[in-house]
Amino acid sequence: MSDLNKVKQQGDKRCEGISYQNLLDDETIEVPAYLREDTNPYMGNDDISVDRWISRDFHEQEKEKLWPKVWQMTCREEDIPEVGDHHIYEIVDQSIIVTRTGENEFKGFINSCLHRGRILRDCDGHADEFVCPFHGATWDINGNFKGIPCKWDFSHLDEKDMSLPQVQIGTWGGFIFINFDENCVPLEDYLNPLPEHFSRFPLHDYYKGAHVQRVVQCNWKVGAEAFMESFHTLETHSEILTFTGDANSQYDTFGDHISRSVTPMGIASPHRPEVTEEEIMRDILELSGRMATDSAEGHEMPEGLTARTYVAETNREMFSEIIGESLDHATKSELEDAILYMLFPNTQVWTGYHGNIVYRFLPNGDDHNSCIFETMILMRYEKGTKRPDPAEKNILRPDQAFSEAPEIGGLGPVFDQDDSNMAAVQKGMIASRKGAVSLASYQESRIRHLHQTIDKYLNA
Amino acid sequence: MTTTADTLIPATDITDNQTVAVTLEGKNILICKANGDYYAVDNQCTHQRAELTGGRIRNCFLACPLHGVRFDLRTGKPLGELTRVALKTYPVSVADDGNLHLELD
Repeated sequence: MSDLNKVKQQGDKRCEGISYQNLLDDETIEVPAYLREDTNPYMGNDDISVDRWISRDFHEQEKEKLWPKVWQMTCREEDIPEVGDHHIYEIVDQSIIVTRTGENEFKGFINSCLHRGRILRDCDGHADEFVCPFHGATWDINGNFKGIPCKWDFSHLDEKDMSLPQVQIGTWGGFIFINFDENCVPLEDYLNPLPEHFSRFPLHDYYKGAHVQRVVQCNWKVGAEAFMESFHTLETHSEILTFTGDANSQYDTFGDHISRSVTPMGIASPHRPEVTEEEIMRDILELSGRMATDSAEGHEMPEGLTARTYVAETNREMFSEIIGESLDHATKSELEDAILYMLFPNTQVWTGYHGNIVYRFLPNGDDHNSCIFETMILMRYEKGTKRPDPAEKNILRPDQAFSEAPEIGGLGPVFDQDDSNMAAVQKGMIASRKGAVSLASYQESRIRHLHQTIDKYLNA
Repeated sequence: MTTTADTLIPATDITDNQTVAVTLEGKNILICKANGDYYAVDNQCTHQRAELTGGRIRNCFLACPLHGVRFDLRTGKPLGELTRVALKTYPVSVADDGNLHLELD
């Protein structure tokens, strides 16, 4: 077992390996300000009750006070490209028709007929008007009531507001968000400082190259937390330690809704001090799944270069070629590191010039012991060419492995390793006699941050 | 018995995400093109028998214009709750003369 508890790095108790900020000192071009942010206020070390993940009561509190109040990502704008296209967004027991009503205009309607309450639309698709399949009550795509058959029987509806009730709607990065709370803060305030941090990565211009979904037998927070710390790399993904700076990752929190982890890549784990630069280069190309090539064949480490620099330059050259644009302004960090942001409560997005990975964890309907895990990969395409259509969602059966989804490449086997923990964590928490978890002070600080923000909503 | 029917429609006449209704051997069939491939299905939604002509195609899914049921053109299988009955599908090929041919049974 490695012992990396010596005090080093920025601040108090940090791993003895080189810090991410020190790695940035080695960049040869100007480092953008967002990467220099290093903010992790102390949030305490108290144990956290497992009730938050396993109890029905906690789920009911989230249902009543969290989901009705937060901004939540529903789909991509590109998923509903034409006026009248819509996506059905479901959260716990609520259903929303997210509709494109204009070139750059979207609306979110409560998916429930004002006549007898049937859901108006059963699935994603296109409609010139919303006709209830039960009796035919009809609304236009802006939610204005158009009528119902046998109007003579409904004169009592004349004085009623028959417009479809709406939720708040907003967009950022090509994603469409909704909020049930009419008094919510504007989306741009909620997301601050995310838009600024992503200013070099116009996600709204990218296309969804892959979208894979599967039910996982754990609470949605257990799923989300599996991607909020790199501490688990040592035991869960040990084969990637040769090129992953796991223990020397940086963890940041920005206000209530945004947090970030930065895991340096192209350097060996502090747990693997004996690894050579040649091994780092070979393994990152073959195993990471995010580099410009997935084979180390024909690659030899030039004398005097680090693997981190060699792989970043390889990525720079090949990524530029793919998109037909110069990436001379990109830092090595943005070309290879794992820089992952959390948008409270359940969406996570990577920055960087590789495909930008997105995770979302939704409660599986009203079941607090399972969740829906989705991953998307946002891709760039050659400048001047037609934007490719977004990938159709690939819904895996619960018994399928993520590695059965070829479109996510090397991520599949990594997710399978994470998957081996997620359901097991839920099961173990239920069996726990301790009844609580003890988080690492720093490396698991984003998980504490998630729960402290949840508490702010539940206690509001 | 399988019979091959010439639709008399040149393959190049159908563009991506377009539908064309044809009557062959008394059957109302919808020919669709999605992602560059041709598909043929019964032109009648299994929910309420509405014609599917003009239904929106996204990727390989055709949406019924009436209530929006989506069918996977590759298998005919529907999504959602409105129907669980698949559309009948027919193999389509591009013949030497450039016309689309269907296999009917």
